[in-house]
Amino acid sequence: MTFKYGIATTVAATLMATTAMAEIKVGFIGSLSSDTGLSTLRGAEMAIDELNAAGGVMGEQITLVSADTGEDVTEGVKAYEYLAESEEVDFIISGSIDDVSLGWLPRMQEFQIPTLDTWTSYIGIIDMVVEDPDLMAPYFMNIASDEALATLYINFGADVLKAKMGWESVVILAEDTAFGEAITGLVTDALGPVAGIEVKEIINYDIGTVDFAPIFSKAQASGADFIYQVSSVNSQVISSQYVKLQVPMAMTGVNVSALGLEYWEDTGGAGGGISTLSPIPSVGFELDPVSAQFVTDYQARYDSRPKMPHFNGFNAYHGLKQAMAAAAEAGGFGDVKAWNAAMLKQDLKLEKDGKLWLRYGFWQHGEVEEVTQRTYPQNALFDLTAPYEDAQPSMVVIQWKEDGSVGVVYPFEYANTEFEVPSWVK
Amino acid sequence: MMQIIIQGLLLSGLYALIAMGFMLIFSIGRTLNLAYGAYIMVGGYIYFWLSQQIGMPKVVGFLGAVVVGAIMGLLKHRLIVKPLKGDPVAVEISTLILAVIMQSAVVLLFGDASKILLPIIPGVVTISGAQVTYNILAATVMSWVIILALYAFIRGTHTGRAMQAVSMDQKGAAISGVDPDRINMITWAISGGLGAAGGVFFASYTQLSPTMWVAPVIISVAIVIVGGIGSIIGTLIVAHIIGFLEIIVVAVWAPELRGVFTMLLIIGVLIMRPQGLFGREEH
Repeated sequence: MTFKYGIATTVAATLMATTAMAEIKVGFIGSLSSDTGLSTLRGAEMAIDELNAAGGVMGEQITLVSADTGEDVTEGVKAYEYLAESEEVDFIISGSIDDVSLGWLPRMQEFQIPTLDTWTSYIGIIDMVVEDPDLMAPYFMNIASDEALATLYINFGADVLKAKMGWESVVILAEDTAFGEAITGLVTDALGPVAGIEVKEIINYDIGTVDFAPIFSKAQASGADFIYQVSSVNSQVISSQYVKLQVPMAMTGVNVSALGLEYWEDTGGAGGGISTLSPIPSVGFELDPVSAQFVTDYQARYDSRPKMPHFNGFNAYHGLKQAMAAAAEAGGFGDVKAWNAAMLKQDLKLEKDGKLWLRYGFWQHGEVEEVTQRTYPQNALFDLTAPYEDAQPSMVVIQWKEDGSVGVVYPFEYANTEFEVPSWVK
Repeated sequence: MMQIIIQGLLLSGLYALIAMGFMLIFSIGRTLNLAYGAYIMVGGYIYFWLSQQIGMPKVVGFLGAVVVGAIMGLLKHRLIVKPLKGDPVAVEISTLILAVIMQSAVVLLFGDASKILLPIIPGVVTISGAQVTYNILAATVMSWVIILALYAFIRGTHTGRAMQAVSMDQKGAAISGVDPDRINMITWAISGGLGAAGGVFFASYTQLSPTMWVAPVIISVAIVIVGGIGSIIGTLIVAHIIGFLEIIVVAVWAPELRGVFTMLLIIGVLIMRPQGLFGREEH
């Protein structure tokens, strides 16, 4: 992978060139060639443009520099060091995947630069916040952590997979990554006791796997009722081979490639029937007016993929504005504790048809979530209990249909289509 | 058990096709062409572009891929291998760099995200409980047709026999009136075409991605090292050993260990029989 120190500054370049005023420097860390990374980068660009057009923050204009991780851990560490040491940024917005975030996290602890993660959901990082709040004061994660994602997904298992479909056993196909391990552990621990679904077998596979035929055969041989896949890397391969091979078992789970609008094109149309847990907002998710306007503006500005920002693009857009608002309140980013306190107070509520639809806020220290009975300080707010009056659910389940359409199937309060098995599954 | 046999046969046929072009260059051109994977990658992408993006018939996409692969082979021979003749390390490094450059070019043209090729022949059949796509069946049949045609070409034509002669002794072949330069050129073109053809089937079986060239190179190196220099039959047999080995490991053991035993096999053969299981001894 090539480490690109490329400066992708697109923010009010003309204005900056003619103005000698002080500036706030924002660093983007993530892949500059993945839909995930680009979603965060573009969300941040749009937020910065809007803030600059409104006069900047504390009278200062905001500039953006970017460092490419190439989704590689080593490159990620170098990228963080570059932003911290060479660019001396004030704030970092991250579209890094879990493994990469875990790589640069010690650098963040060392440099103490306020950092907002928009994609990584690894609960272990929130555990670090719980254990050492001072050291982790600069860190915020504005996606629901994977434990919250998995917890609500277990409800989907109970309410739909068990109660509606009548499935009682599962075989888990999980990629060999930190994300795969975390989700598999959470699902395995809860599927049996909570949803009453027995885990027959866990099959781990390398992320470089390109031939899933023998793995699907092994899954079939387990005798389970359905497959639960956990895939965040090269997910379109497992999906398309599932469809091409017409594996006679239903498959659901976590399939990151299915979160983007390009999924159908990327799979050559061989992606129907795949359902996945998705953070919010996802494809197929009905948008509130503010989020819809963001998508309209995004599509007017960018004509390359991703055609619609992934959830982390929304997170970056709102999260960056919140980080700047917190900085304005704290007198800048220099006093990390003051910025942390101001950031924790950020709370954006978006309504649709008079109902709370999306909420961008954070769990406070010591605040206990009632279902999991644990704390999630500095993690995005979520609600695990219907009818989701305090915040949005931690995730939704979306399903791509065989005609290429996509919709939300769970929770029922947000659903706009029904969960169904592919036509070849009897 | 039947599933293992069926999946093993299908995968092995594909591996044999992929490795054949690599074996030709290694045997005749005496070059460890680490950019061989680039033919495979480019073949897949050319087919994708012609047949899936601009909607040309699949056969045109396939032929287009083969032609571009052959031209790439020719160019590589003319522009890199020939000028660096006599310095195998420089050739290997150059070919590896070329593969990385090709990867970047593909990212630039098609993006970083993996893409899925539509099946060349759509449909699925269940054989003894194993789901088998018509696509992989066609790939296996095509593999065998191409391999048999190559075998007939090398054994039955003047050019093929000249390739054999150059593979055994370049100087001796030259004394006998064979033009080694011309034979090398033909070999590089055939290798490029074979790689691209393999790439179409490999991509339709798996995926298209800018890094897809790495795995086939590893498979090809393994097959040629274990099989030995200059043996089509050896390549065929070892492709089956490795194909079955992978399927068995995945089916009865752990998918993460899929490639481990292939690597152990390479080390074992290098120690016990450096010329490969079916290769001739070099002097």
